[in-house]
Amino acid sequence: MNLLDPRRLDALAREYAIGTLAGGARRRFERLLRDSRAAELAVLVWQERLATLARPVPPLEPSERVWAQLEQRLFPAPAAAGRGAERWWQRLLSGRSLGGALAGMLIAVVVLREQPAWVGLEPARETLPASYVGLLHDQTGRPTLLASSRRHGRVLTVKMLQPLAVPAGSVAVLWALPNAKDGGAPFAVGRVPAQGSASVALADTSEKLFFNVARLGVSIEPATGAALPAGPSGAFVLSGDCVKLW
Amino acid sequence: MDEGNRELARLLARVALRDQAAFREVYRLTSGHLLGLAVGILERRDRAEDVLQEAFMNVWNHASGYRADVATPMTWLINIVRNKAIDKLRVGKAERAATVELDDEALALPDAPERQPQQLMDESLKRARIEACMGELSAGQRQAIALAYYQGLVHTEIAERLGAPLGTVKAWVRRGLDRLKGCLEQAGLSAA
Repeated sequence: MNLLDPRRLDALAREYAIGTLAGGARRRFERLLRDSRAAELAVLVWQERLATLARPVPPLEPSERVWAQLEQRLFPAPAAAGRGAERWWQRLLSGRSLGGALAGMLIAVVVLREQPAWVGLEPARETLPASYVGLLHDQTGRPTLLASSRRHGRVLTVKMLQPLAVPAGSVAVLWALPNAKDGGAPFAVGRVPAQGSASVALADTSEKLFFNVARLGVSIEPATGAALPAGPSGAFVLSGDCVKLW
Repeated sequence: MDEGNRELARLLARVALRDQAAFREVYRLTSGHLLGLAVGILERRDRAEDVLQEAFMNVWNHASGYRADVATPMTWLINIVRNKAIDKLRVGKAERAATVELDDEALALPDAPERQPQQLMDESLKRARIEACMGELSAGQRQAIALAYYQGLVHTEIAERLGAPLGTVKAWVRRGLDRLKGCLEQAGLSAA
């Protein structure tokens, strides 16, 4: 059965949009929706028609807790006075974490010296190739993720040094945190595995992407198709320094 | 797009740039209406508010995915909320089949006449000026669509509620929606 046949597609889109498509058929159609622009458009047209029916629904004032919890989950309040305008990821870059940052850098360098294969850097020569390297720790300070990319490469090699707990229906996303003075918000680098190793395709060369990046973080995000979220939805479960090696 | 939707589209573009004030404004303007829709499907305020919160998490995280050229902002928001409410309703049904919730009575909302599916349907057709065109449908056809849209019921549940055979209900929904499509196109043409 060809789901993309226009008549068939319109019928499925109609039943999906109103909600009568249920169970496994609904899930299968949602998978199709992620991949097919034609399916997406067919649904959008029906949703727009059905929105006519939504208009007279009487509004209900949500209780205070809904907004309060949203704020708490999305914009955790700054911990200390005088840091009012700072975002939480900027605090990660502040002086308070500097001690940790230096320690992390040392460990990263030691790891590279002792275990170059961990980072996928095959030492063909005596010196290491110019690279960006990140070592991320969990909240108890255990080294958990090692990331590396050659300076002009477009692939980031990720190795999990210990497994990361990723709940079902969620994915672990690696974020780059540009320096605060460059005013950058975190940008998503890619998904990382819960354990083992992976190669993450980069949007550009690592030199362009990581030039201003001082820190890396991993957050747990809902698994929603192939697209990466625009920003981290919660605190980082792993974080660490991003170091440039020549 | 009307003025309200144009304003929402502008706000969503700012939310995509991580503007918290714009996000708060989108919430202020739309959360009441969206909660009303979710309550219709879930019939319980606490569960509907959970869905509303999850939906706005999505809005913050995926505002960059909103495309003003393919959907009006309100439709986009409604879809997020309805899909989440429908998913929660169906998971909840499976759970309730296995357990008994003692506080169901306390949290259930009273049946307000202005929330009855049939009334909402009639009112929306009137506002869209397609009541005459849609009036050619049978009462069963209109009821079937109203139960599917406002309460998130599936064909078997609608059949049970209306005491009609399953095949008949499927045809009612199909023909009713095709009629809605025709009436809206006709109204659009005559308005142009």
